[in-house]
Amino acid sequence: MKKTRNLIYVLLVVGPLAFIFITLFIGRYPVSIPVVAKILWCKFTFSSCNLPEIYQTIVWDIRMPRAILGAMVGGSLAVSGAAFQGLFRNPLVSSGILGVTSGAGFGAALAIILFHATGPIYIFAFLFGGLAVLLSFIIARVYNTTPTIMLVLGGTIVSSVFAALISFAKYVADPTNELPSIVFWLMGSLASARYQDIMIAGIPMLVGIIGIMAVRWRINVLSMGDKEAHTLGINTKVNKGIVIVCATLATAGAVCVSGIIGWVGLVIPHIGRMLVGNDNRVLIPTSLSLGACFLILVDNLGRIITGSEIPLGILTALVGGPFFVYLLKSTKGGGW
Amino acid sequence: MPLLNVNNINFGYDQRDVLKDISFQVNRGEIFFLLGPNGCGKTTLLDCVLGLLKPRKGYIQVNGTDINNIRPEAIARQVAYVPQSHEKTFPYTVKDIVQMGRAAYIGLFGSPSSEDMDIVDEALAQVGILHIRDRRYTQLSGGEGQLVMIARALAQKTPLIVMDEPTAHLDFKHELVIMETIVELVRETGLSILMATHFPNHAFYFENCDIATRVALMNNSKFMAAGSPSDILSEENLKIIYDINARVVSYTIDMEREIKQVIPISAK
Repeated sequence: MKKTRNLIYVLLVVGPLAFIFITLFIGRYPVSIPVVAKILWCKFTFSSCNLPEIYQTIVWDIRMPRAILGAMVGGSLAVSGAAFQGLFRNPLVSSGILGVTSGAGFGAALAIILFHATGPIYIFAFLFGGLAVLLSFIIARVYNTTPTIMLVLGGTIVSSVFAALISFAKYVADPTNELPSIVFWLMGSLASARYQDIMIAGIPMLVGIIGIMAVRWRINVLSMGDKEAHTLGINTKVNKGIVIVCATLATAGAVCVSGIIGWVGLVIPHIGRMLVGNDNRVLIPTSLSLGACFLILVDNLGRIITGSEIPLGILTALVGGPFFVYLLKSTKGGGW
Repeated sequence: MPLLNVNNINFGYDQRDVLKDISFQVNRGEIFFLLGPNGCGKTTLLDCVLGLLKPRKGYIQVNGTDINNIRPEAIARQVAYVPQSHEKTFPYTVKDIVQMGRAAYIGLFGSPSSEDMDIVDEALAQVGILHIRDRRYTQLSGGEGQLVMIARALAQKTPLIVMDEPTAHLDFKHELVIMETIVELVRETGLSILMATHFPNHAFYFENCDIATRVALMNNSKFMAAGSPSDILSEENLKIIYDINARVVSYTIDMEREIKQVIPISAK
């Protein structure tokens, strides 16, 4: 029992690294193992390589940042999803429950229409994602407290309002260039990944993930419901606030660079539950690792299945759905 | 000094008073019952004692400290709670649930240590369910589930435990199992218990077991009477608060132990 546990922990750390490494070989342009090894060696020792520039560009400047970003986005979405499911005591909740994804979607659409440039898209998506969660919170405060059910209701209201605004943005967008950009953005992609994006969007993602990791045992207690959590000695307002802020930072950071990627924040935590159980002390790190692996895997599939890339948001569900059913069958749900 | 001192509290929503001028004390090693019809304010009173609701007037002291001036973790080190029914969401293991009783002693970024785990095992052993510590608590029977809730309260290491109808959903046997467990706990550890219940016989059960027991009859947001079960649970008082006809009978078993019981006769 203890041995299998330790093996699982090792796999959780090694898994995403292995997936990142494998990604370096995958793509149209074949690169051999010695070449990849040599490039990694030169980059990590800051020495110069005697290799054609094209190899370095492909391996180090295109495939590597893409894999790293995939790992971060997948991890962020899965961790926020797991945290929200615990906080809202509802297994059907995902990372977008408080409206952050719809808000970010509208922010991006607005930026595409107004500026036609990528820089403002990140900023607008991030800010509107945060704004949506803030609005959900304000709506939930109608009764002067923030009961969980009111937060979910607030999130649902805000999500549908922003969904309507996205439709409106599509309706008024120029159908020759703006509309396709909006549609592609909403389907999610890691294609634009550069180290610069990782540096900027990585900050909120890392802060969010670290914050949730730090309070992950408290999420267990919060999942007992407000009344019991309070009598167990938890300041529910403060603790819920921390979880919501961290999950929002992580999700908004992920969505603003990758667009809307569904499914990860809903289902990866459940796959984690089947593998390691419900204790958030183990479940949160497991979700982080599984989310990272899953998104890299799906992104690689999207790049190689057909000649042109298949958007991520489509593939996550197409790949994840059957895989989830398979796991459900083979683990009999693990009592979950 | 009494362990719990509720002094002249009032509580209400808007214009409506739910609790009016309620005062009582609970001593160490004593069990105090709240009895009264549905809607008389029992649960509201418990919520005030737990620090979940703040009285409009009056104060509540535990161990001499006013609970409305201290933080949730400080209250949770003085008063633990066993709910009437616990809504199960995720299938945590029994030990995961009982560990949560340690939350008041663990910092914001911490998680239970091995000392906490020892306390958890001790609490599980006290209620006799150490053998199911790794089971999923969603798969337990109602009686076992309620023992888990009691173990969680014990893991909080508080001098006072508040229980809200802890046997409400249990079968005949498990109701007795819970009662026996509580009697043992009070005897062995000197715990104090404040319990809301619908069954006058619960109070007699503890009195029959020679535990210091008191009962308060609540009606229309007020205490109508308070004292020992034998004095308070009279046929006249039951007539007044429940509007029923009942007999209080006494029966001697094994030639030495006398047990008292209320037998309801008719509702008219």
